[in-house]
Amino acid sequence: MKVRVKLFGTLPQRYSEYDPEYGLEVEIPDGAKVKDLLAHLELSSSDGGVVAIDNLVVNTEEKLKEGASVRIFQHAFGG
Amino acid sequence: MKFLRVDMNGQSVRVEEVPQEYAGLGGRGLTSILINHEVPATCDPLGPENKLIFAPGILSGTPLVNTSRLSVGAKSPLTGTIKESNAGGTVAAALGKLGIAAIIVEDQAPKGKLFNLIIDKNGDASLEPADAYQGMRTYALVEKLLGRYGEKNGVLCIGPAGEYQLGSASIQTSDVDGRPCRAAGRGGLGAVMGAKGLKGIVISQQGKSPDAIVDPDAFKNAAKVFAKAVKDNPFTGKMLGSLGTAGLVAAVNSLGAFPSYNATKGVFDGWEKISGEALAETIQQRGGKTTHLGCSQCIIHCSNEYVDKDGKYMTASLEYETIWAMGGMTGIDDLDMIARLDFLADDIGLDTMNTGVAIAVAMDAGYKKYDDGQAAIEMMEEIAKGSEIGKLLGNGPEAVGKHFNHHRIPVVKGQSNSAYDPRAMQGNGVNYATCPMGADHTAGNLVGAYLSKALNPLDAEGQVEASRNSQIAMASLDCTGLCLLAGGVLAVPEVRDALPQMLNAKSGSQLGPDDYQAMGIRVLKAEREFNRKAGFTNKDDRLARFFYEEPLPPHNKVFVVSDEELDSTFDF
Ligand code: SF4
Repeated sequence: MKVRVKLFGTLPQRYSEYDPEYGLEVEIPDGAKVKDLLAHLELSSSDGGVVAIDNLVVNTEEKLKEGASVRIFQHAFGG
Repeated sequence: MKFLRVDMNGQSVRVEEVPQEYAGLGGRGLTSILINHEVPATCDPLGPENKLIFAPGILSGTPLVNTSRLSVGAKSPLTGTIKESNAGGTVAAALGKLGIAAIIVEDQAPKGKLFNLIIDKNGDASLEPADAYQGMRTYALVEKLLGRYGEKNGVLCIGPAGEYQLGSASIQTSDVDGRPCRAAGRGGLGAVMGAKGLKGIVISQQGKSPDAIVDPDAFKNAAKVFAKAVKDNPFTGKMLGSLGTAGLVAAVNSLGAFPSYNATKGVFDGWEKISGEALAETIQQRGGKTTHLGCSQCIIHCSNEYVDKDGKYMTASLEYETIWAMGGMTGIDDLDMIARLDFLADDIGLDTMNTGVAIAVAMDAGYKKYDDGQAAIEMMEEIAKGSEIGKLLGNGPEAVGKHFNHHRIPVVKGQSNSAYDPRAMQGNGVNYATCPMGADHTAGNLVGAYLSKALNPLDAEGQVEASRNSQIAMASLDCTGLCLLAGGVLAVPEVRDALPQMLNAKSGSQLGPDDYQAMGIRVLKAEREFNRKAGFTNKDDRLARFFYEEPLPPHNKVFVVSDEELDSTFDF
């Protein structure tokens, strides 16, 4: 299945094919979880990536749905 | 360490050794405990009995990174409560190096008279007439003052808004480049400075008499652990340096918690145009600076320098809360316009948040249309002129809302909320409601807990406890002079002990982690005590009514933490 990923912070710089308008289209196996997507994108916990779908932060065990719109930004603790 | 007591009425400065009862205190701990002891709680904030106190943190002036944060305290004319407003820049480190624990400004200058306080490299201080600077905006003023007294000084000053004694008047302070782009913005402390007849304070950065460090080796070791953690953390080590705090625009919009159009929506339509990513790209294309040293000894560099299409300086230190207040709240999705409004706020000497929200309330009430950047600029100029509408706008959202008989005023105790909506981040609502300073995100921001999923942002459960812990932690941190952005790494277990270790190594004390926390509790208790004496009760610890009644899209939630739970926040 395909999901669309938008990246924020310093994360987009890591993917040469990243299109800031569209994001990235990522092909992953059906039933894949958030952690599988992170692994596919080679993002580890030290990157501080936070994943949000439909205005909620999701945990890494959450199953992804076909066509999901996923945002990944970096952890922050104040501003 | 010494106190400088400045008598504005007699124009004299008295130096005193720090009395024993204040030993070991710094920053917010010192300002709040001093105010609670020395200022009559029911006094007129703009009268002679109020005191304006500037205190560097306990660790300011030491070699530790990120310790140039200054606490400015007084009774607030905006909220009527005790107030500590925190500013970066160079002054806190400079005061630390001069061995000055606090400047305490007392009484008032004769009516119509203005003075500057000059502190030289030996720590000798005197008041000089400043009538020639009357009405001057802060950029011109700081240029003149640094021209006259030398570049190696830090400046604290007010603009026209402070001279008019407006509720949103800030105290601006110079950054490392000598620009007054950093502010003790909150609580109208610029008005207190104006009421004292004090236009500026010039402080030498060349002091050589800091408090001696009792155990330099232990200090150095703990300081290294701390600095390494700041460098290694992805937020402080990477993101803040590239995007600044504006990096939060994407995160908070992605959680539906970015109060927009005067807090009627939780996602701003044009957020991608004003995000940290868009900001960094614009700055880069135009040849500005995305990474910029704002405060002395900072290794994070969250600041920036924003330039126009021709590469000309527009403003510096354009940050998340300002982008929100001047952008999201007003519907303005144009970074150039927001940068201009930020510059004007600094130059006129205004809190960007309270002023942006005041403009948003005026727009919501129909005075002007949302997204009308030109109208917003004109409103800022009215404030600078001191016209009738200008004074109204400069007194903040509550004054504006009352004038237009408009109900949607996102303030607590008269001070505007911040860039996290209480309906989509309930614990931040607890902070706003119960913070002794009026709504203040820096008193205990829980955004990190929501991003790490440690706490569900939409439920009441756990919010009060999280807010309590966070408010205590911040009250302790605000005593140290450490920047709160750097302070975030203290959540890392290996780093947690480094702070009490440094405090002990500096002063020879024997603080453990519990004592460090007890310091925060002591500060909060003093602040609450002052507010009680000033007439505040639990009933004042509430959000504006509309947060309980008007659901915020996209989550369509209202604020659900009960009054009883709010009242248990300070059960300690
Ligand atoms: S991170 Fe930003 S606010 Fe904190 S000390 Fe550095 S420049 Fe100042």
